[in-house]
Amino acid sequence: MEFYLISTLNGVIYGLLLFMVSAGLTLIFGMMGVLNFAHASFYMLGAYVAYAVSSAAGFWVGLLVAPAFVGIVGMLVERFLLRRVHAFGHAHELLLTFGLALIVEEAVKLVFGDFPVNYQMADTLRFAAFTVYGTDYPFYRVFMGIVAIVMFVALWLLLSRTRIGIVVRAAERLPQMAEALGHNIPVVFTSVFGAGAALAGLAGAVAGAFYPTNPNMALELGVIVFVVVVVGGLGSLQGSLLASLLIGLFSSFAVGIDWSAADLLALVGLGDWARTMGGLMTMQVSSISATIPFALMLLVLLVRPAGLMGERG
Amino acid sequence: MRHISLIALVVAGSLSAAPLAAKPLKIGIIESLSGAQTSTGRMFANGVHYGIDRINAAGGVNGEPVEVVEYDNAGGPTEAADKFRQAQADGINIIIQGASSAIAGQLTEDARKHNIRNPGNEMMYINVGAEAMELTGEKCHFYHFRYTSTAPMRVNALISTMKEQGTLGTRVYSLNQNYSWGQDMQAATAADTAMGDYEVVGEVLHDVNKIQDFAPFVAKIKAANPDTVITGNWSNDLLLLMKAAGDAGLKVRFATAFLDQPGNIANAGETALGHYIANAYDNSAADGSFADDYKAAEGHLPTFVEPQAAFAVGALQEALAKVSSEGGDVNVTKIAEALEDTTYESPVGPISVRKEDHQTIRPVVVSKVVKNAKYPADDTDMGFQMVKVVPGEEAIYPVQSSCEMKRPG
Repeated sequence: MEFYLISTLNGVIYGLLLFMVSAGLTLIFGMMGVLNFAHASFYMLGAYVAYAVSSAAGFWVGLLVAPAFVGIVGMLVERFLLRRVHAFGHAHELLLTFGLALIVEEAVKLVFGDFPVNYQMADTLRFAAFTVYGTDYPFYRVFMGIVAIVMFVALWLLLSRTRIGIVVRAAERLPQMAEALGHNIPVVFTSVFGAGAALAGLAGAVAGAFYPTNPNMALELGVIVFVVVVVGGLGSLQGSLLASLLIGLFSSFAVGIDWSAADLLALVGLGDWARTMGGLMTMQVSSISATIPFALMLLVLLVRPAGLMGERG
Repeated sequence: MRHISLIALVVAGSLSAAPLAAKPLKIGIIESLSGAQTSTGRMFANGVHYGIDRINAAGGVNGEPVEVVEYDNAGGPTEAADKFRQAQADGINIIIQGASSAIAGQLTEDARKHNIRNPGNEMMYINVGAEAMELTGEKCHFYHFRYTSTAPMRVNALISTMKEQGTLGTRVYSLNQNYSWGQDMQAATAADTAMGDYEVVGEVLHDVNKIQDFAPFVAKIKAANPDTVITGNWSNDLLLLMKAAGDAGLKVRFATAFLDQPGNIANAGETALGHYIANAYDNSAADGSFADDYKAAEGHLPTFVEPQAAFAVGALQEALAKVSSEGGDVNVTKIAEALEDTTYESPVGPISVRKEDHQTIRPVVVSKVVKNAKYPADDTDMGFQMVKVVPGEEAIYPVQSSCEMKRPG
């Protein structure tokens, strides 16, 4: 019971964190069709800006400034870089954002150094939310979960219940028609990209204080957020949330499982043979827990290429 | 046609026979200077530069300053192999590298093959940080020297010291990264149970630097109820593990190998207090003259892997002094033979080379994190305090039977 409860708790919170980081990516892909490789770099930028600001003006100011700053950077990137290559198709956008990611990484190292910086959460947030089976559960994990849920609800309401949402969705589906109706489509695209970047910036500012803020943080999360978006269905907000939670739970439970292929074969009396084979046969599930999201992605791509909740089949 | 090639041969012969006193010794640093492991690679390069500056300040080799070239391997073996060929073309005599055993495995093989194909023009590889056992096992060869400790040395030192201190306990958990280094650590931890009189209550290998959330691992550790967790984790894998353990209020002592990586202490905060580390050197274990000298030269106190790289070049300096007194051409084989016979007096004790596998026999410093340390880490009030310097003879392990070294001549 203890194992299930704690694993579920850890998995859900980690899943919500993944959603927090991938929400902006989903938004940008869903509403603009741009696959933004530099998304995790915006996340890292958010953490570093929050660190720089918070050491001068306090944690909460950093939390506000970081998304605003990264949002503006995102808008500039869309306006002056992405728009120029948009006409040449997805490959060019992909290459451009990929290059951008490399530049951001090395630039961060030049400015802030090679080592993790000391970005700390506000002391008022540093307490145990509750205790389960003798283990303190840090409030900040709960806080990250709440931020992710607020983010999801706000985005979902904005896109499905407001006029802005209608215009944005129209701009994605039928840009020329929306333009003919008097909407300024380039401005819509710039704002959407800026909003996506700002969400990544906020995620960085929140998560950077819990996980260390270092020049590799973009690299570490960069791949997994793409897995989330692919599993959930490119562009689907609900799909992203579902995929994030699934991946969080799978990773969390896998750590506690000490089974290997040999144990499975032991059920049919081949255990000893498998153990003498060694290698993959005796590898425990827990030691490959970080690989499980990728296996999940493979499975989803085979069975349902559009993703769990993707529209385009 | 035959005449021309004959002339070419004669010319080439006379060129190589010309007095070469003017030919300087060339050292190449093939390190991870960009990409994810920059933080470690740069530190190794710092230490090497410090050592070479001292050689040149003392007059260089054969009256010529040593030339040093930096090559960026971008953190991968493929790029490293590329840079090795570049170094070959540049006429590098000695290559130095430390970050990553995977890259070391590539470079040591490249050097071995180069030396088979180019007798009389050998290249030496000084490994200042790659700890995989196979480098002094099945991959060992005469021109590879390992100037760092390995998993058994670190674990032996940790266990014996913590046992003496009464902080080891009887229940030990082993948590490591799933590749050669982590597996070596796990094997070393399992091998010392009789010596340390403890029981291994759990063993986990996990993916390397891919895990963001260590909370599930902490839950697993807690379920096993250990006194001490021995881990070879480095970089994020160590920092995240410690933070997650601290957040969950887990009361265990961590025995580590890389806790002194810059940024770790500041990020972990009070959680780091009382944890142990076994490494090559700590400022609190020496009289401070090396620390002061290093600070004067490089602008900061020697930390993390910088000292071990500096000591390796220090040993090389003494070996070069023996060879260059004989004068003449740069002869890498002679340098290697001299290095075998060199015992370098580091600030924490002598470092000598074991001839059978070219592993260095060296002291291992065990320290722990305390408040109000003499040498604070990361601008905090915490830092490392030496607990014990384990002499090389005590920390060393037997030569691996897989090493069959072919000596020159």
